[in-house]
Amino acid sequence: MSTLTVAQRVDSIVKEVLRVDPARIMPSSRFKEDLGADSLDLVSLIMALEEEFKGPISDDEAASLATIGDVVNFIEKKAGLTAS
Amino acid sequence: MAIGTGPFWRACLDGVAAVGPIPAHWLDYHRPSSTLWAPLPEFDYLQYNVNRIERMQIDMATVLGLCACKQAIDNAGFFIREKDNKKNTFSIDGLEAFRCGVFIGTGMAGIASFTLNQAFHCFSPIKERIGQGSAAEHLLRMPARFNPFAVSQIMPNATGAAIGIKYSLTGPNNTFANACAAGTIAIGNGFRAIRSGRCDLAITGGAEYLADEFGGVFRGFDLAKTLVRDCGIPEKANRPFDKNRSGFLFAEGGAAMLILESKEHADSRGALPIAEIAAFAESFDAYSMMALDPEAGPIKAMIRDALDEAGLVPADIDYVNAHATGTQINDEVEARVIDEIFGKKPSVNATKSLVGHAIGASGAIESAVTALSIRDQAVHACKNLDTPVRDLNFVTSPGPLEIRAALKNSFAFGGHNAALVFVRPVN
Repeated sequence: MSTLTVAQRVDSIVKEVLRVDPARIMPSSRFKEDLGADSLDLVSLIMALEEEFKGPISDDEAASLATIGDVVNFIEKKAGLTAS
Repeated sequence: MAIGTGPFWRACLDGVAAVGPIPAHWLDYHRPSSTLWAPLPEFDYLQYNVNRIERMQIDMATVLGLCACKQAIDNAGFFIREKDNKKNTFSIDGLEAFRCGVFIGTGMAGIASFTLNQAFHCFSPIKERIGQGSAAEHLLRMPARFNPFAVSQIMPNATGAAIGIKYSLTGPNNTFANACAAGTIAIGNGFRAIRSGRCDLAITGGAEYLADEFGGVFRGFDLAKTLVRDCGIPEKANRPFDKNRSGFLFAEGGAAMLILESKEHADSRGALPIAEIAAFAESFDAYSMMALDPEAGPIKAMIRDALDEAGLVPADIDYVNAHATGTQINDEVEARVIDEIFGKKPSVNATKSLVGHAIGASGAIESAVTALSIRDQAVHACKNLDTPVRDLNFVTSPGPLEIRAALKNSFAFGGHNAALVFVRPVN
């Protein structure tokens, strides 16, 4: 089991998928506006998060995740995802 | 069997064969007559410019194709530089992108991903209704989700497209879905694109991945009675050109890529060619979806066409890398055709006796073997050939051979035939 926090794991996935400067990765960073993600990037990001946290994220849930902080909160609260 | 030109070619010369039992869980769905296949070796795609995010979005056939392509580019002595970090794409130094084409053969690339996505599509509502713990739950094998990239994952042209995108090549990019001859036909079309003047360089070859989650592709070939049936001694089961052959050894998958260049282009960058292609010919049986025309008229005509295009006569051919699947009809017909046209002079071998049959990749793998045989003036043996189907000059032990010209045959389900003539480069 990973000893990293959920936030660290999310940051790592965002970096891997979007290839952005780590300095731009903050809880308030918006995927589209701040990190330049297009719709395919967002789909790739959701897939990678599903793999990392071992559980499905529905399209509706995905649509509600606009920032890195949204993702961290969502994973920490959602039953069925492996947040620890 | 092996990854990379050097290890693969060494394994061929050493007679290393890939064979093992099919995945045990396939037997939950069907009890096939054949129980063996040629498994792929373990390999790390991350070494070949394919990252983890891309892997989630492409079929294993495309992964194999991209890995083979990276090796081919490196072996050809090209330098690649990053073009787009996020997209993980590259450009190749010294190439005019519009003058470079991609020509890829496959039988059914995408089938494994297609099957997985369909499994999720069909099984997820069933799994919801039967709940956890049902006795049949283990049969509902499916991924965690329907892949949002399913369409580009399963389209047969995905491998060619992925290579073109990966290395920023903007010339013609075509896919040939001619079953067991696809790889050879793809190389032939790359050759023609160069000969016609359209391209300076072509990335050509084949990629295949046949291990769908449930073994359904295997079942299809098994029901068609094409697979090795005599599986008692696994290492002896696969024996093309032997009187006691019992079918072909199904390969999990495979890929090989050959980089073709015009002589001027290769010379201009000081590249040392492995071999030259002198001709490509093709024909169609118009006879049966599943069986060769035993009269083999179109195959014989094709081989004569290939020799004419190369400016050669039958006596000039020193080596034939045969299609040689190990099925009753193929080997009997092919051996007779070789005898009729070439007699006992050329050395003949069957690369499938080592690597099994990777359908659309097979012609590319065997073309690579043919080219390497010319480069090293050496041939591998026909594995398990104890009682030859015909009195030909079969290679029964590996060793040196003077090869000025070689023929590579491929014959496909449907009736597609293809042949390439490779010659020793003249300096």
